Amino acid sequence: MASTELGGKAQRPRPLSPHLDIYRWSVTMAISIAHRVTGVGLYIGVLLLAWFLLALSSDAASFAVFSAFIHSFIGRLVLFGFTFALFQHLMSGLRHFILDAGYGLDEPLRDPLAWAVVGCSAALTLIVWVIGYAVR
Amino acid sequence: MSRNQYRTPLGQVRGLGSARNGTGEAYHQRLTALLLVPLTVGFVCVLLALLSKDYNAARAELGRPFPAIVFLLFVLAGAYHMEIGMRSVIRDYLHGHQREWALIVNTLFAFALGVACVYAIARIGFV
Repeated sequence: MASTELGGKAQRPRPLSPHLDIYRWSVTMAISIAHRVTGVGLYIGVLLLAWFLLALSSDAASFAVFSAFIHSFIGRLVLFGFTFALFQHLMSGLRHFILDAGYGLDEPLRDPLAWAVVGCSAALTLIVWVIGYAVR
Repeated sequence: MSRNQYRTPLGQVRGLGSARNGTGEAYHQRLTALLLVPLTVGFVCVLLALLSKDYNAARAELGRPFPAIVFLLFVLAGAYHMEIGMRSVIRDYLHGHQREWALIVNTLFAFALGVACVYAIARIGFV
């Protein structure tokens, strides 16, 4: 008892419920985390959309500033990340609809469904960027 | 005389689930998500159509009814969706006053962003 007393020298930290770092990584876990990370990323990335719309609605000079940024290396990198985050969140969201309906929670569909999210979001990102470079 | 009159207020609600807004939030999160599936496709298509255009042509394109309405719906559903989503992230990681302030800033940010985008789209269409 002495070791847990408040102010005692050998005070142990209070026990916490198990968290992420004790589990072996699985694809479903990675997709779940990625869904939240891309969600937060899109939350911040949407500022780029607001900048685009406000610049386009003001005048050519404001739009030139936005255009210069988005055509720069950093701008393209951010836009590529935004595209991937958008499709990852979209595909992962569709997966959640399937899970909500009660399907794909167990073998054999559970892991393929999660991998399909990875594959589809990567493929859609690449397709959109290929189209983007082709029509530009 | 109803049997409930002899039960405490806590006893009456125990087991009935949360008394707050969790279910409504979860439902609105999914409703906006469903709307955002076709809207995201439309949003990306409109953006791709804008890529080859200069300032004036892009402004004219986004000033047309269909692209403008797709953008408006995308921004409105998106702002609401991200507000609910960030709410649950904040509740997971922040506590006490920090949580309350973060929730306020979150609502304000989502609302301001939505208004700014709607204003810009309207201005592109009408000015």
